[in-house]
Amino acid sequence: MNIKINNKKIECEEGKTILQVCKDNGINIPTLCYQENLEPEARCRLCIVETKDGKLITSCSSYPKEGMEIKTNSEKVKRARKVNAELLMPEHMDKCFRENKNHDLCRLIHELGIREVRFDPKKKYKVDLGASVIRDDNLCINCGRCVAVCDKIQSTWAIDFAQRAHHEHVTPYSEKNLNDVACIKCGQCIAACPVGAISEREHLQEVLKVLKDKKKHVVVQTAPSIRASLGEEFDLPPGTLVTGKMVAALRRCGFDKVFDTNFGADLTIMEEGSELLKRIKENKGFPMITTCCPAWIKFMEHFYHDLIKNKNMSSCKSPHEMLGSLIKTYYAKKANIPKEDIIVVSIMPCTAKKFESTRPELKSGVDYVLTTRETARLIEHFNIDFKNLSDEDFDPVLGMSTGAAAIFGATGGVMEAALRTAYELATGKELKSVDFKETRGLDGIKTGKVDLDGKKIRFAVANGLKNARELLKEKDKFDFIEIMACPGGCISGGGQPLPYEKEKIKKRIEAIYEEDKRLPLRKSHENPMIKQIYEEFLGKPLSKKSEKLLHTRYFKRSPF
Amino acid sequence: MQILRKPLQRAYRKAIKLGSKATIDLIKKKGLSGRGGANFPTGSKWEMVSKEKDSEKYLICNADEGEPGTFKDKFIIEKNPEALIEGILIAAYAIKAKKAFIYLRGEYDYLESKLKKAITKIKNRTGSETPIEIVIGAGAYICGDETAILESIEGKRGQARTKPPFPTVRGLYSKPTVINNVETLANVPLAMLYDDWNKNLRLYSLSGNVTRPGVYELPLGTPLCDLIKLGRPKNPIKAVFFGCFGGCIPHCDIPLHPDAICGKECMLGSCTIIAVDEKQSIVDLVTNIAKFYEFESCGKCTPCREGTYRILNILENISMKNADMKDLDTLKELAEVIKETSFCGLGQTSTNHLLNALKYFRSEFEERVKEKKTRKRTAR
Repeated sequence: MNIKINNKKIECEEGKTILQVCKDNGINIPTLCYQENLEPEARCRLCIVETKDGKLITSCSSYPKEGMEIKTNSEKVKRARKVNAELLMPEHMDKCFRENKNHDLCRLIHELGIREVRFDPKKKYKVDLGASVIRDDNLCINCGRCVAVCDKIQSTWAIDFAQRAHHEHVTPYSEKNLNDVACIKCGQCIAACPVGAISEREHLQEVLKVLKDKKKHVVVQTAPSIRASLGEEFDLPPGTLVTGKMVAALRRCGFDKVFDTNFGADLTIMEEGSELLKRIKENKGFPMITTCCPAWIKFMEHFYHDLIKNKNMSSCKSPHEMLGSLIKTYYAKKANIPKEDIIVVSIMPCTAKKFESTRPELKSGVDYVLTTRETARLIEHFNIDFKNLSDEDFDPVLGMSTGAAAIFGATGGVMEAALRTAYELATGKELKSVDFKETRGLDGIKTGKVDLDGKKIRFAVANGLKNARELLKEKDKFDFIEIMACPGGCISGGGQPLPYEKEKIKKRIEAIYEEDKRLPLRKSHENPMIKQIYEEFLGKPLSKKSEKLLHTRYFKRSPF
Repeated sequence: MQILRKPLQRAYRKAIKLGSKATIDLIKKKGLSGRGGANFPTGSKWEMVSKEKDSEKYLICNADEGEPGTFKDKFIIEKNPEALIEGILIAAYAIKAKKAFIYLRGEYDYLESKLKKAITKIKNRTGSETPIEIVIGAGAYICGDETAILESIEGKRGQARTKPPFPTVRGLYSKPTVINNVETLANVPLAMLYDDWNKNLRLYSLSGNVTRPGVYELPLGTPLCDLIKLGRPKNPIKAVFFGCFGGCIPHCDIPLHPDAICGKECMLGSCTIIAVDEKQSIVDLVTNIAKFYEFESCGKCTPCREGTYRILNILENISMKNADMKDLDTLKELAEVIKETSFCGLGQTSTNHLLNALKYFRSEFEERVKEKKTRKRTAR
């Protein structure tokens, strides 16, 4: 098909929107409500272009026709964009000009050259202070991206629009707080928000406070996916592994010990793998479902009560909670520090972990959870030149990990790591190739089969909770299921650097698998420190002590 | 009046005898066009849907008459519901609809019993088995938009959908759907039955500063003066509003025909005429209409949601004599952008009245603005 954009002849494929065609040809059209992979809603009216007959149409929802002539920057288009952006601006004026935040809307007003706004701020909503996610409706521009993500990707329906006209705003049902509804705290709405109206509940100030406190022994642990994404906050290209720099920076922030959640991940695999083998032996409790993702756990507690009843869920805590428990028991004893004086800070790509650390049944060892973004702010707070730091290593014992733990950050990683260990524990034979190709990639649902000493294990991996819903419809066809709430796994979690782009996420995943390849040990049960901790402290997997420290229970919650 | 003729189920029997294709052809030949405002040929719409291959199809009768100053559909439902129901059954038969809906305006809920009675009566007499369900709206103006009706019947928020796909391809529950106005459907049996049926007769809803407001049946092209004269105004008429969305013009002698009115940058739409005499202030009227849109905007798109609010703010400032000339420019710019970039018909037409008022009655606005300045001076 031939069309003309800005008087330039362009050939384009059928089925692509005008916006996509423009993007392919290097023409930048501003958008706010448009999200890749989701149906355009055409709410913001900023991506408008002019047709030959002087009509303005939204490029995100219109398709090119043969012989169409489009102008993307005529005076009419510019004026309309400017006015529409101005209408969204009143509440943002102060913040955007003063702080020059890295949000789509703020970038846009600089692009459009808006210097003053003729209208006064009008919105006066209460700020919704959730345990993990904070929503400030006053900053909201009603683009509907968070609603679309919550509905179409996570199928949680925690938030939707209420009221109409300029009273329209995003809210949980009947104006409740996020804490009181079935919100799973995954934080995907934070990632979707183009104006920063939704953000994580900050633990940064509290952490800074305990860092100053000389009496406290502050221990930090870092999640597997942080090392592939933290660099982006310091202008390093996506997919740069910054493990060494990160450890160095955290030491300079004043943390007494820097441990690796990957160790907890290895431990999770030992417990979870053993649990799987136990279920195979007893031939009950299938399918077994992983429990590393706190957003998925909450989702399950809200919507899938039968999984609790049938004991399908693995009873393992998530890796950072396991490590938290060990730090407060094993490490405290070893270092001879009273448990009360140890503060554990987890650095996670996730907002749901913040909620998880407040669960009473976990008797959580983790005191504070920082997201990747908060960590960057923490490092900036101490004026550390992150880019030019030289690499340092994690502190010993609880800092040693294998490649199996490294891939926890990507969707399918937990499954792959568990299969590596379960195979060798069950068969006693060495695995020829440790790479399980079926579990990798960004597909919503991945399935495969593996032979564990005569028993065929059918496994499935889902990422994104809408896909999880699809998968759970036919859960009886599988024996072992991994579910991660965020599309792509922790690597695109709600606490990761903004803005989210698919290319970036692919790069981060590549980096994580690179890390796996780089490490000499790639199976959790080969980790010598894991062996040591079982010998010295825990006994064996699923022993009484590990049941007490490393396992948990689940509770039914209302689906509303 | 033509619209009050009683077809007495003869048209339905005729349709059955003709078969669905011939019925559609007959309606096409008679030249019946949509009375909701767009004047789309009814027969063609039916044909589009009947050619779709889906097994399920729906018919919706749009009785969500929310336009201020429009009451012709209410008139039909009150006076001749039998013709309407017969029209629905004929249309449902012609497009092979699985089910027909009547989307009744929330404020018209007292007409539900009347409609139900007519449905039972006509169905008994014709033996038709097409179910007709009455859905009562929740009082949103936007639900008069055909795609918003679909959302509303499906139980979602009443907001317009992206077009294309048009409802004739993917409508209610993603199935091909015909949406027709009450007046259109009530005309179907009459058009089929009577050879002297006049396709140009329209129902005009006349209101405002006239002593005899009401529904008048006149052909298209009737001079505006003649209609106003029928209403017997007490004072000379200054301006005419074509409903809220149609815009306004100074009272003059133009024929009431879509083409002629389009030339004045107005829309005849559903033939609503609100006469305004010299005692009224255009600024106050425009402010009142702006209030209506500020309240009725669905909130989906930026220009309509935020723009209508800002327009009302500025207009109120002008009414309160608290604005300056710069505000008039802002007002015009806002109104134009809302017209150009809004998502659906509501937004696109929500500023017609304002733009025309600024064009034809700018002096009234300027007077208000100046009044403030003189007052300020005296205060000093």
